[in-house]
Amino acid sequence: MSRLQLMLENSWRDLRSGDGRISMATQTALLFFLLTLTLTGASIQRYLSDNLDQMLGSDLVVETHSPLTERDEATFRSIATGLSVTQLTDITLTHKDEWARVQLKLVDDAYPMQGDLQIGDTPVATQRAVGRGPKIGDIWIDSRLAIKLRTNVGDILTIGGADLRLGAILFHEPDRIMEGHSVAMRAMVHAESLAATSISSSKGRLRYLATADERQQQAIATWARQALPGASVIRKFGGQHPLASFWQRTENFLGLASVILFFMGAVALDMTNRRWLAKMRYRLAIYASFGTRSRTAMLMALGEWLAGFLLSIAFASALAILAYALIVAELQAYFPGLRAAWHVAPALKTIGLFFLLLLALQVPSFVQLSRASLLSLIRNPGEGRHVWQRLFWNIAAVTLLAAAYSDNWLLTGMTLTAIAAALALMAALTWAVIRLGDAWGRRRAGLLPFAFFMMRQRLFAKSAQVMGLGLCGLLLLFSLMLMRDLGTMMESHGRSHDGNLMIAEAQSDQIDAIRHWAAATGSSIRALRPFVSAQLVSVNGKALADMDKPSDTLATLKDPIRLSWTDAMPENNRLVGGTWWSAGTDKWRQISAEPEVMTDMGLAYGDTLSYQIGGARHDFMLVASHAYRPGAGSITFWFQVPLSARPQIDAPTRYMGSMELSEPAWKALAALWQQHPTLSLVPLQELTERFDRTLGIVTKVTAGYAAMVLLLALFVLAASVSGFSADDRQKNGLLMSMGLRERDCLRLNLCDWSVTALIAAVGAIAGTWSAGLLIYRDQFDLTYSPDMLWVATIILAMVGAVCFVGYLACRQNLKVSVRDLMAT
Amino acid sequence: MPDTIELNSISHHFDTLSERIELFHGLSYTIRADETLAIIGPSGAGKSSLLSIAAGLEIPADGDVRFTIDGVAVDALTMRANSGFIFQQFHLMPELDAIGNLALPLRLKGNRHAFDIAATWLDKVGLKDRARHRPHQLSGGEQQRIAVARAFVTGPRFIFADEPTGNLDVHTSESVAALMFDCARETRCGLVIVTHSHAMAKRADTVLLLDSGQLKAAA
Repeated sequence: MSRLQLMLENSWRDLRSGDGRISMATQTALLFFLLTLTLTGASIQRYLSDNLDQMLGSDLVVETHSPLTERDEATFRSIATGLSVTQLTDITLTHKDEWARVQLKLVDDAYPMQGDLQIGDTPVATQRAVGRGPKIGDIWIDSRLAIKLRTNVGDILTIGGADLRLGAILFHEPDRIMEGHSVAMRAMVHAESLAATSISSSKGRLRYLATADERQQQAIATWARQALPGASVIRKFGGQHPLASFWQRTENFLGLASVILFFMGAVALDMTNRRWLAKMRYRLAIYASFGTRSRTAMLMALGEWLAGFLLSIAFASALAILAYALIVAELQAYFPGLRAAWHVAPALKTIGLFFLLLLALQVPSFVQLSRASLLSLIRNPGEGRHVWQRLFWNIAAVTLLAAAYSDNWLLTGMTLTAIAAALALMAALTWAVIRLGDAWGRRRAGLLPFAFFMMRQRLFAKSAQVMGLGLCGLLLLFSLMLMRDLGTMMESHGRSHDGNLMIAEAQSDQIDAIRHWAAATGSSIRALRPFVSAQLVSVNGKALADMDKPSDTLATLKDPIRLSWTDAMPENNRLVGGTWWSAGTDKWRQISAEPEVMTDMGLAYGDTLSYQIGGARHDFMLVASHAYRPGAGSITFWFQVPLSARPQIDAPTRYMGSMELSEPAWKALAALWQQHPTLSLVPLQELTERFDRTLGIVTKVTAGYAAMVLLLALFVLAASVSGFSADDRQKNGLLMSMGLRERDCLRLNLCDWSVTALIAAVGAIAGTWSAGLLIYRDQFDLTYSPDMLWVATIILAMVGAVCFVGYLACRQNLKVSVRDLMAT
Repeated sequence: MPDTIELNSISHHFDTLSERIELFHGLSYTIRADETLAIIGPSGAGKSSLLSIAAGLEIPADGDVRFTIDGVAVDALTMRANSGFIFQQFHLMPELDAIGNLALPLRLKGNRHAFDIAATWLDKVGLKDRARHRPHQLSGGEQQRIAVARAFVTGPRFIFADEPTGNLDVHTSESVAALMFDCARETRCGLVIVTHSHAMAKRADTVLLLDSGQLKAAA
C-alpha cells in the first residue's frame, strides 16, 4: 500500500513538472483525436447496421448494371418468394425553362416489397403512406425537385416525348438505404410509362428487390455470385451496408492523418522523455542505494508512467465525448437519425492500440532504465547514446499505426520515405555545420565561434533537438501546403475545362442532335472522346468482390467504368511504363491503365483483366501504363485499349467531351433535354458549385486537422525548450561565473537557437520538397511548384518563432542567480 | 556469527582507448559487520572501485567475493537488499522534503509507520524543525545528516560511504563523521568508508591504505 501510494505521489509530482505537463497534453491531444474518430466511426457503423435492418425495403437486393437475361430472372424468381424490378437512371428533367439533373426510378407493380412510400400533395403537406408506386402515366418527384422546377401536383412533365402527370410529392422510399449518402434529387415513374422511350445510360442500374427467408437469401447470394458477375447482393442477414466500405475508406484516410499527428506527438514525447529518463535513472539509482531490487523499482517506474497514461485517458475521454456529440450533431445532415451513443468496445480497442504505441515509444527509455545503476551515483558515467535505438522504436510505433489505419500504402510509404530522407538530411547537416563551424572558429574569438564550440560538445543532444524541430516543421509545412494547394486545385478544377459545358455522357444518336443544336444556337463542340461502359469483374481470375481491402479505386471499379480505345497515345497522356501497342495491331486484347490504379489494385504488367461489357466477358492483358499530362484537354480515361478492340465489343458507343455555349444557347438547353433526357450535360457553373460544396466540407475537416497539427507543433516547441532548459541553465551559469554578462549570454543563446532553427528549417523545406515531388504528381495529379515567397515567409516565421521562444526561455534562466544555476 | 564480506584475491582494471589501467591485484580481506573500516589512499588508486566490489555493485576482473548474512552465504542482490549507501553529493530526492526523503526507504520496503520512524530519526540527527524543507533549502551539512539518517533508517547490515564529507567544511565534516560512526556502533552495522580525510579515518576500528595496487594496514 505504501509503495502504491509512493508511486502515485511520484506520478503526480512528475505530472506537475513542465515536462510532465507537456507529455500529458501531447498524450491527451493524440488520444482525444483517435477516440473522437473511433466514437464517431462506431456511431456511423451502428447507424449503418440498424439502417440495413429497417431501410432495405425487402429482404434482399441484387443490383446490376445491365438487365438479367430472361433465364436468369426466371431462376431468381424461382428461388425467391417475391420479386420487384426497379431501374435507376440519371436524366435531366425540365419544366418550362427550368431544368435539373434527377435520379429517376422506374418501378413495377410489385414495388415496394416491404414498407410504405410516403407521399403528399405539396412539398409542405402532411405525408400519407401508400403501399404502391405511381400508376402508369404519373410521375412523383421529391419536394426539393418540385421547388427547383417550380411545379405543382397536376402539372405535366415531359420525358423523352412522353407526357407525365405530376401525381404526388415523394417524401420517402422504403428502400432508401440503397441510395447511400446520395443527395441527388429523385423522381419515380411506373416502368410502363416510359416503355416506348429510351432512357438508358452507362450509369443505369437495375435493382431486384426480393422477399426471401434466410435460407433463400443464402441460396440467392450463392447463385448470383456465379451467374451474375459484377452484381452486388445486399442482404438483411449477414449483409453489408452499401455505405460501410465508403465509411471505412474515410476512416482510413483520417487514419493516415493521424499517422502524421502521431509522428509529431512522438517527437514531443521523445523530447520530454529525455528529461524523464534522466530523472528516473536518478530515482532508481537512489532506490537501489536503499537496497530496493531493480525489479521492484522498474515496476514502480512502469506504474508511475501508467498512472500518467490513465489520467490522460480520463482527460481525453471527457474531451472526446464532447467533440463526438458536436460532430454527430453536424453529421446528422448527412446521416439522418444518427445518434451519439456509448461504444465501449471500439473505444477500449483504440485505447489499447494507443497504449501499445506509447509503450513502443517508451521501450528505449525502459531498456535504459533497466540498466540504471547505483554506480552512476558514485562515478557519474556518461548517459550513453541511444539515438538510433529511440529512432528505431519511434519508426516502429508509427509503422504500427500506419498498418492499423492506412489503406493507401503508396501514399503512406511516400510520406514515411520523405520523413526518413528529411531526418537523414538534418542529421548530416547538423553534424556538418556544427563540426565545420567549430573548425572554423577554433582560432577565432567572439561569441559565434564559442557558440559552435558549445554545440560541438553537445552534438548528440543538438542533433535530437534539430531533428525534432525540423520534423515538426516538415509535417506542419507539408500539411499546410497540401491543404492550400488542394483547395486551389479544387477551385481551379472547374475552370480548367475547355468550354463552359461539359458533356458527361452522350449516346451515339445524341451526338447528331447535339451537333445540330450547336449549329442552331451558335455553340461549338470542343472535344469528344468515345467510350463503352465496362465493368471490371476479375483480375487474374480473382473476382473483385473477393478483394477485401477497401480503397477508392476498388470502390470505383465495383461500378462500370469508361473504357476508351485509341491507337496513338492521346496528347494529354504520357507513357509511364510497359509497351504501348503499335497502330493497327491485330492483338486487340491489350490494355493500358493509369499508374495509381495499378498501385492501388496491385496490378502488374501481364495481368489479365476481365471486363463485363454489354453482357459479354472480355479478357485483356495489361501491357502499358499511361498518366495524365496537362495542357491538351482534360478528358482522360483510367483504361484504354487498341482501336482494333472496338469491333470485337458489342456495346453502344458513348461519348464524353466539352462545349462552348453562347449566351443565348443556355435558354435553349431545356428543349434539347426534353428530347434527350439521358443526355448528361453539366454546366461549368454547376460544376463549380459542386466543387464549392465539396470544398466547404474539405475546408471544415482540414481546418480542424490544421488546428491539431498546430497544437502539436506548439507542444514540440515547448518540449524542445523545456527538455533542454536544464542544460542551458547550467551552461549560462558557467558562463556567467566566468564573467560573461547577461547580454552576452542572451546573444550566445540566440546564436545557438538560430543555428538550430536554420538547420531545422532547411531540413523541413528539403523534406517538404521531396514529399511534394513524390506525392503531388502521383497522388493528387498536381504539379509541385512551390511558391518561393511563401516558403521563405514560412522559414522566417519558423526561425523567428523558435528563436523568440528560445530567447524567452533564456531570459527566464538568467533571472536565476549564478549560485542557483550552479546548483542544478 | 557476524555478517561478513570476504574479498579473495581480487584484481581489477579498466580499459581506455589506448591502454589498460591496472587498479589493484590479488587483494584479500574480510569485512565484518561488527566493525568500522576506513579505506584511504591517493586519487586514482581504485578506492571507489574497491568499495563498489565490496558492495556487490561490480564484479572484480579476477578473484571472488563472498557475502554471508546470519551465517548463510548469499548473493550480491541479497547483500544489496541489506545495505545502505552514503554519497559525497548527498543525492537526496530534490522533489521530496526532509521527512519525505527519510521515509522513502521505509516506504519502499512497505513500512506503514514510515513517517513516524522518519520523524524519530530526524529528531535524532537534530533536524526536527527542518522536516518540511526541501534539499535546496538545507545546507550541505544538513543534507548530509539526512542522507546519513536515510542510510541507517532501515537497519541495514552494512553501510558503504564514498567520500561522505568531501563536500563539507572541516567543522561540519566532524559532526557528520561523528553521527555516522555513532549510528554504526549503535545499530551494530558494518561501516565501510572511502575517504581522503585522515581525521575521519582515525574514527574507524580499522584503517586500510590502498596504494600502488596494494592494500595495507595504515599506520
